[in-house]
Amino acid sequence: MLRSWSKGAYSALSRTSRPVSLHPRGVPSGATRRSVQIQSAASAAADRVPLRKQLKQEAKAIREQKRLRKESEEASRQAWELTVGIEIHAQLDTEAKLFSRAPTSTSHVPNSNVALFDLAFPGSQPEFQVATLLPALRAALALNCQVQTVSRFDRKHYFYQDQPAGYQITQYYEPFARHGFVDLYDYDGIAPEDGDHIRVDIKQVQLEQDTAKSQEYPPASQLLDFNRVSHPLIEIITMPQIHTPATAAACVRKLQAILLSCGAVTTGMELGGLRADVNVSIRRRGEAPGQCQYDGVSGLGQRTEIKNLSSFKAVEDAIVAEKNRQIAVLESGGVIEGETRGWTIGSTETRRLRGKEGAVDYRYMPDPDIPSLILGEDLVSSLKTSLPTAPDSLVAQLTGPGFGLSIDDAKPLIELDDGARLEYYLDVVETLRSQTPDRDPEAHVALARMAANWVLHELGGLLTKTDHSWSAQVVPAQALADLVQSLNEKRITGSVAKQVLAAIFEGDSRPVSRLLEEENLLLRPMSREEYVALAEEVLAQRPEMVEQIRRKNQLGKIGWFLGQMMRLGEKGRVEASKAQEVLHELILGKQ
Amino acid sequence: MSLLREAEKCLVNQHKHTLNAFITPLPRTGKWREQVADADQRRERGTSKSALDGRLIAVKDNICTRNLPTTCASGILDKFTSPFNATVVDQLEAAGAVIAGKTNLDEFGMGSHSAYSKFGAVKNVRQDREGQDLSAGGSSGGSAVAVAAEQCYAALGTDTGGSVRLPAAYTGTVGFKPSYGLLSRWGVVAYANSLDTVGILGRTTSSVRDVFSILNQHDPRDPTNITSTSRSRILSRLQDPALASRLTRTALRIGVPLDYNISELTPSIRQAWHMSLAHLQSQGHTIHPISLPATKHALSAYYVLAPAEASSNLAKYDGVRYGTRAEGPDSNGQPESYLYADTRGQGFGAEVQRRILLGTFSLSADAMDNYFIQAQRVRRLVQHDFNSVFAAAHPFAFKCDMETTPSRTADVDVIVCPTAPSSPPRLSDILNGRSPLDAYVNDVFTVPASLAGLPAISVPVTVSASEKDPRPDELAGIQIIGQYGDDELVMNVGEILENQRLGSQV
Repeated sequence: MLRSWSKGAYSALSRTSRPVSLHPRGVPSGATRRSVQIQSAASAAADRVPLRKQLKQEAKAIREQKRLRKESEEASRQAWELTVGIEIHAQLDTEAKLFSRAPTSTSHVPNSNVALFDLAFPGSQPEFQVATLLPALRAALALNCQVQTVSRFDRKHYFYQDQPAGYQITQYYEPFARHGFVDLYDYDGIAPEDGDHIRVDIKQVQLEQDTAKSQEYPPASQLLDFNRVSHPLIEIITMPQIHTPATAAACVRKLQAILLSCGAVTTGMELGGLRADVNVSIRRRGEAPGQCQYDGVSGLGQRTEIKNLSSFKAVEDAIVAEKNRQIAVLESGGVIEGETRGWTIGSTETRRLRGKEGAVDYRYMPDPDIPSLILGEDLVSSLKTSLPTAPDSLVAQLTGPGFGLSIDDAKPLIELDDGARLEYYLDVVETLRSQTPDRDPEAHVALARMAANWVLHELGGLLTKTDHSWSAQVVPAQALADLVQSLNEKRITGSVAKQVLAAIFEGDSRPVSRLLEEENLLLRPMSREEYVALAEEVLAQRPEMVEQIRRKNQLGKIGWFLGQMMRLGEKGRVEASKAQEVLHELILGKQ
Repeated sequence: MSLLREAEKCLVNQHKHTLNAFITPLPRTGKWREQVADADQRRERGTSKSALDGRLIAVKDNICTRNLPTTCASGILDKFTSPFNATVVDQLEAAGAVIAGKTNLDEFGMGSHSAYSKFGAVKNVRQDREGQDLSAGGSSGGSAVAVAAEQCYAALGTDTGGSVRLPAAYTGTVGFKPSYGLLSRWGVVAYANSLDTVGILGRTTSSVRDVFSILNQHDPRDPTNITSTSRSRILSRLQDPALASRLTRTALRIGVPLDYNISELTPSIRQAWHMSLAHLQSQGHTIHPISLPATKHALSAYYVLAPAEASSNLAKYDGVRYGTRAEGPDSNGQPESYLYADTRGQGFGAEVQRRILLGTFSLSADAMDNYFIQAQRVRRLVQHDFNSVFAAAHPFAFKCDMETTPSRTADVDVIVCPTAPSSPPRLSDILNGRSPLDAYVNDVFTVPASLAGLPAISVPVTVSASEKDPRPDELAGIQIIGQYGDDELVMNVGEILENQRLGSQV
């Protein structure tokens, strides 16, 4: 299931521009369908539009709509400055709950993993689980935070069925980590206007309890599962320093990647392991600064908070919608209320959940039963040294002179399969390099690139096609290295390499060298004479095409002859590049 | 007398009186008879499990018991039975004691007269001259009356701001609140966690000591319980010759807080205090006037802090997972109306609702700084007051605290003062519309030790020349307060004063 997220991230990464859609569920086509129905009812045979034409018109309308939307987005961006701050709630990877020894597993029978304290039984008391600190501290360190020597737990009061004690235990006054930051690069998908890098400061990271899961059965029933209650969470609060919806989504995506890579969490947004709240405010550019101040950033407009966003797209879409709502309110002379709003996936508007910010008073109070958390410098520094390499450093390494990969290859290698794909890739590269120790650096880079292509696209393609989840055992790293090596040394052709990979993937466990020999797949290079003879044979099939190429310079048609040569030639012997060369020579003369 | 005969006598007393001391009394028949009979045999063989083996100990009904209901005298828990035993209950049973039933109290411990109970008010054993029922004191009034009426051997109460000492003073029993954190609170239903302490009521200090020695153990399930290492640190400090000699030598330095001589003090209580000091002096101890200036703010600080914690602790009672729930849907069927308003409105009594509202207010964003934070500062001042008069240093005082402590103003071993400013008022006065503030004043002498977490005991003294059973206004509770960890010393001094008839000496 992780893989499906990874694939999603991958495709999102390869997206270069991100058109903002206010109608993600194809509202325009639905509208057209409706108009067609009206037409057929009114004047049946009058002027029927051919289907092909209709499709073309629809596509054109959608393009036009997108263009207009983009323009209006740009116009509003120039008139209004958007400011966004993010709060992330992430479930820590722990065995036990925050204040009891009950297991955290939520897949068990509902209400089977609960201790007395989790249900707020009278007379029960909290028992802080020290092991929670490991993932929490890893997260704080990966986010470049200053870990606080002393932190404390507070109670945040509100009544809700999913909150058995009537309060949530959190760290409001004195969180365990402060003053961190997250770096966002162009390859993280930030908005073009943010350039190639921005840094978003993290105000604080705090430990807190998750709530129970509740399911509403209107009108009057609620089912409650307390397995999730008191699962340890960290809440990460960024400063209000983000000014575009795309960058906000990129920030959440990046935070999730960092939390996953440092082992603080096990699941991302798609499984509910991570939720985001965003606060959104706008102010008119070139006018007096706004009256509001949040987290020490002053001059902002009145903000609203959108709760419980559960996908990157939801983060982006909800911010766009809320920004546009606020602009509309202000432009029509209205006032923005400080309120809590909600977002439903696929909708076009945020909706009001609760009234003015001041109306909910959480009455924060230090918890009198829970002692202060005192963290030793030794623990923090030993965790610091054992922290895995940060994704950004890996990107720099893979795109650097040692590997020379493109960002588009480096990112998925790092993010796919929880880092397992990267490990596999590095195994392949190391095997290749150990087999060719004397190569010059350039040749090493070429091998690294080739290996990335095979690990990501060829092997990845087979996995996707057969719907397999990742395993490093299906095609052992040694086998893939041998295959890439054979190809690199031109002992086999590309198409043979693909066939062999497929064979190994399907279970052929012979060593690559034996397999190539036994199946007679090794390339016996054709002589120049053989190439010329073969080329002349195919050219003779279509002399008129040869003429067209010569007269009209329709070079594209050479490809057809190349295809014929590959087909007619002895299996696995025709090298495309050489064949192409000979065709050029024969058709267009020596160059 | 055999243990079984003693227990049967208690049972008879439980069912004879109409004092309403018990919410759940001991059943007439049951396993307890065998248990007590077994204890008798052990005693004959000299193999008693403990000094409490075969004794009946009553337990306040805000301490969880698996086999008996735990109602907290509240409508919201009136049919509730806890799935587990409090640690103190387990400890008593392991020592061979039998739980003598669950005693009546002010709802969730909030009150000073044990009159705010879903199950009706507790009555004092004594009546006034006109035969009117008197307050038993609160909130552990049921436990105190059960002890006074010999319905049990001893009883557990809880003391948040005086809830064991005040009823002890009103009923003529001994009531002891140990240092905060010595007795486990696991299974004790929280009223104000930072103040809640399990307390012990007995007819003599020595029976109180027997119970204390069994309960004074570390419990890892209570995060505020003093750890074993801290306990041994306290012990080794107490073995320092300068401190150890206090338990044996005759001349103790007794502090008398002049700030406690308030105008509300009734003449009989003032006389009892005076005579107690004279008695101590006659025993060779020396009397030293001291000043505890923060005391005058202590009561207000207490009535900010305790309701604040209470409003938080009582948020869990919503009728969803346990407890009594109002009829109909949670929000009265209205999406905009307040969740649980009916359940909580019907389940909680007036005094609990009053304190929840007080606490909710003092924790609200606009009031927090002026009330809750301010009260925490006062609490710290009260602690400084005590630290500046005791000869022994607070074992847990941080070094920086000691340096900022105002210079020592006295060097006393214990402080002696009244437990309550007056004799027990009439129950009818309390039930019929006296201002709740009047009741709060009863806690003025007990609250400071609670805020500072110090050990304090209330022992009965009688100011009367006659040998007759004392009239209520001849009886007074005298309180002895010690430095943190000086629980033994406090009980020793209590023993000197307990049940003294002081009238003849003047």
